[in-house]
Amino acid sequence: MASANFTIPANLILLTIGLPWLGALLVWWIGNSHPKAQNILAVAFALLSGVTALALIPFAGKETALTISVGGPFGDFTFVADGLGIFLAAIATVIGSLAVIFSIDYMHGDHQLGRYYAMVLFFIGAMAGLVLTSNMLLAFVFWEITAFCSFDLISFNNDDPKAVAGGIKALIMTQLGGIGLLGGALLVYSYLGTYDISTFLAGANKLPANVLSLMAFGFLIAAAAKSAQFPFQTWLPDAMEAPTPISALIHAATMVNAGVYLLARFYPAFEQVPGWTISVIIVGVLTALLGALMAMVANDLKRVLAYSTVSQLGYMVYAVGVGSIFSSQFHLLSHSVFKALLFLAAGAVIHSVGTRDMMQMGGLGRRMPLVRLVFIIGALALAGIPILNGFWSKELVLESGMSDGPQWAYIIMVITAGLTAYYTARCVWLVFYGQPRSDLHGHGDAPAAMSVALIPLAIGAFLTELLAGPFIRMLNETLPFHSIHELSTLEIFQDVITAPATLVALAVIALGLLAWFTRGFLKGLSRPTQGLVKIAANSFGFDSINNSIVRLIQVCAEALRNTQTGMISWNVFGIVGGLLILLAILLIGA
Amino acid sequence: MYANDALIWLIIAPMLASPLAYFSGKLVQRKINTGKRNWTEYIPGVLTTLILISDLIPLSICAQTLLDKGVVSVTFGQITFHLDGIGFLLTTVVLALGSIVSLYSLRYMREEVGEEKYYALLTAMIGSIIGLGCTSDLFNLWVWFEAMAITTVMLVAFYRQQPAALESGVKYLVQSATGSVLVLIAISLVYTQVGSLSLDVIRDSVQSPSLLLITAGALFFIGFGVKIALVPLHTWLPDAHSQAPSGISAMLSGIVIEAGLVALLRALGSLFFTGNQWGYILLGFGALNMLVGNLMALRQIEVKRMLAYSSLAHVGYMLLGLGTAAAFGQFNGAAGGFFHLANHALMKGSAFLAAGALLYTLHLAKGDHAPLVVDDLAGAAKRYPVVAFALSVAVLGLGGLPPLAGFMSKWQIFVAGFETKNAVVIVLVIFAALNSVLSLAYYAPLVNRMYREKPSHLVETGKPASLLFTFPLILMTIITVIIGFYPTLLNWLTYPAASSLMALFGA
Repeated sequence: MASANFTIPANLILLTIGLPWLGALLVWWIGNSHPKAQNILAVAFALLSGVTALALIPFAGKETALTISVGGPFGDFTFVADGLGIFLAAIATVIGSLAVIFSIDYMHGDHQLGRYYAMVLFFIGAMAGLVLTSNMLLAFVFWEITAFCSFDLISFNNDDPKAVAGGIKALIMTQLGGIGLLGGALLVYSYLGTYDISTFLAGANKLPANVLSLMAFGFLIAAAAKSAQFPFQTWLPDAMEAPTPISALIHAATMVNAGVYLLARFYPAFEQVPGWTISVIIVGVLTALLGALMAMVANDLKRVLAYSTVSQLGYMVYAVGVGSIFSSQFHLLSHSVFKALLFLAAGAVIHSVGTRDMMQMGGLGRRMPLVRLVFIIGALALAGIPILNGFWSKELVLESGMSDGPQWAYIIMVITAGLTAYYTARCVWLVFYGQPRSDLHGHGDAPAAMSVALIPLAIGAFLTELLAGPFIRMLNETLPFHSIHELSTLEIFQDVITAPATLVALAVIALGLLAWFTRGFLKGLSRPTQGLVKIAANSFGFDSINNSIVRLIQVCAEALRNTQTGMISWNVFGIVGGLLILLAILLIGA
Repeated sequence: MYANDALIWLIIAPMLASPLAYFSGKLVQRKINTGKRNWTEYIPGVLTTLILISDLIPLSICAQTLLDKGVVSVTFGQITFHLDGIGFLLTTVVLALGSIVSLYSLRYMREEVGEEKYYALLTAMIGSIIGLGCTSDLFNLWVWFEAMAITTVMLVAFYRQQPAALESGVKYLVQSATGSVLVLIAISLVYTQVGSLSLDVIRDSVQSPSLLLITAGALFFIGFGVKIALVPLHTWLPDAHSQAPSGISAMLSGIVIEAGLVALLRALGSLFFTGNQWGYILLGFGALNMLVGNLMALRQIEVKRMLAYSSLAHVGYMLLGLGTAAAFGQFNGAAGGFFHLANHALMKGSAFLAAGALLYTLHLAKGDHAPLVVDDLAGAAKRYPVVAFALSVAVLGLGGLPPLAGFMSKWQIFVAGFETKNAVVIVLVIFAALNSVLSLAYYAPLVNRMYREKPSHLVETGKPASLLFTFPLILMTIITVIIGFYPTLLNWLTYPAASSLMALFGA
């Protein structure tokens, strides 16, 4: 590592990535016999990295902030602190800190606390690295590290075969998609001799058209796998075996956004590729719709939230597809806050009653007033009810969809907003209202550390939309290749309120809510939809497609074992046969 | 002249160590038979380790000349030793891995009957691999190759009371001999055509392909291919690698099959003529090896067999890199292939040593020769944190997870593949990447199992892991991580080797 220029932003970037990693080593080192010290260290290092990430904001710029020369086919490891990167690094570290604080209560008494915290901190650092680097090789490295941490944390409870299966599924599917990113990075290197993202964005037209389109679709596959988009959406619900703070952090607020980030980052280069934007729109729309439908029928509290995450990520991908980078990132921000809030509140519920099955809950609101309050705040934001952050960002997505995207896509997305309202109301009702449906009573409301994590997020669900103006300015100033129209927060608000799209969406959302509360009257209607319910509950058959692919590979592997006869005559036959075939090939070839 | 003397010492030292280890072991054994165990039983192992480590000194002297002039050579009568970049890489890796293995074996082999034979054979094997790396003619190539085969066969069958070990030894012997015969025929064909055995003379006089030479090439491929475990010549490998003492498994997988690869490259390099067909065949075997190796490993429940099959796959990656170098003149392919060779020795060595440490503490120390299966590993991390961590890092590195060494060498190979801008090779690279994902499907559950909460019965009753197990593992784990963060760290090793290869294949 010959040269590195240590300016203030360079140091801050190194600290944002390095501090959590250092913390991970220390927490692991100190051992599981000191859980108190592990808690303190984990919280301290997560908070410190949050501080350094926020401290980067005034230093936002479009120039490369840190270069570490490695050379050879590995290029220069470069980092740039632009608006998009800082924004996502801040989300990763701040929500990461809250998830770590929440874990103090949630993971209390666990025997492998060291591994847990080490992996969470390792993840936080890698996520910050992924969004701050401007080198595609390094982006791939961080991309894979986050996938590995996600895998290890999903299967954290290794004794449970379901958890292990879920973890491996997540790992394999995101890795398969990751090959798209790998291929893209290698294509850029083989044509431009660099992995630098800015150089690529500036010189994308130097690549032959077919190479660029190969790369664009490769990145779309990578993004779809990482963000659990169609047709890779099946890993995320199975990832819900992870401890709930992990679901909040990795599978709602940060890692699953990496795909959206990738599409947004490279949008200027791929925009012109024929068929690319419409493919992105189709992926987003299908995912949003399928996710919402599955969320309507799921009975596992965390799976409802997971399907809802899939669906909301579909909104963000759709927004990128119609060219509105800002609204996708704005919705990403809102979603990170309210979905982390929902997951953590759900975690408090699950921690208290000891089940994830909503059919065994009911009437929990009276015993857990704080959790009910914050959950409802999150739910309202998810449903897109005015003045919460989810309202502003979702309306903005729909508005740009109406003006810049195809009509059919817009209509499906509006209907999906109605479905979202429906399943949100259903979820709140089944958990907190009505009569208790089992004798699980729970331990009562959220303990101290959980509340410390929940309350800032609940406040955030009211306030993050105020960041819209400064955020859009930062993006505009530091992303030279994206065309972003600069507006102030107030202008954005006016824009949303006066848009006709808003009224339409609000009406549909109201219909969705109404549908839940009048479900008794709608019974007659529900019969024809029974078939759909069944298909949705079976995740539209995608799981069985996955399973049959896995089975096919295993059957092949098992069949291949027959070739290992253990008989020496067959072994020598292999040698002789190999020789004959090789000779034949050579003689034909020559 | 200084470097020439160093080269002689480099080759002779392990050859001298072999009888030294044997006789010192014999002397010591007579004493300990009368009484309790004492420190003297460590003498053959310590001697071996010290000689192997000190052999790095002549190596570094040769390295300086090598980097200046590109080659070190010394002649005894008719025989010329000729250390180029490829030989330097092979020698460095075998000495480094050999020193670690012999250190590790101090504990692992302490209670075995015939310990002194183990060290004598180990050093003889290392010596013959160094010799193989330094030959300049086909006859000596074959002689060193055979010497290596003979020593390894005896090491594979070291547990001579165990039927499984004997069986695998016999299989290895028969198949390896079949391969050697093919090589011998190939050499005679080349001699018939060219009238010389010197690689340089052959290279200069062969201009165009002839039926005789093409047949010779195919025979080289298959003959050496048995030792490299090219599919479908690989059937001896899972038995041999899993039955050998774990230190030897590390050597077999880490360097012996690669030594065969170097022998093949040297022989083919002398027969290189226009058309690049050798390169294409390397690529073809690469694809086959990756697929078959990974699929066979997927359903394995014996840990050492799984690692053995994964060696097939990793040879495939090396072939992919070296194939792009031979067929398309990609320097990165050669450098990446050799980088992966070194990394594979490091990571697979570490994996075998860690699996061996668990095999020893869970089975062998209790006098039980049953194989280590995946289920035995449950909860191992709690009782053997260092060993479990080392095994995790090693297999994840083999699976190509960043930021570990294995990822970086695969990346360099992939870069070479894309730089050819040839659609077929690019598809092959994507295929290789898919194979890496496939390999995680058996590595990841292995790691999961070790970090279970509930230990298996064997882990609960396991013996403690010696410092002689954990120290080499810590060392190798740290290096695996460092190379992952700083991938150009081994350029001094891989670039000269790549240059030598490019010179062989006419770039």
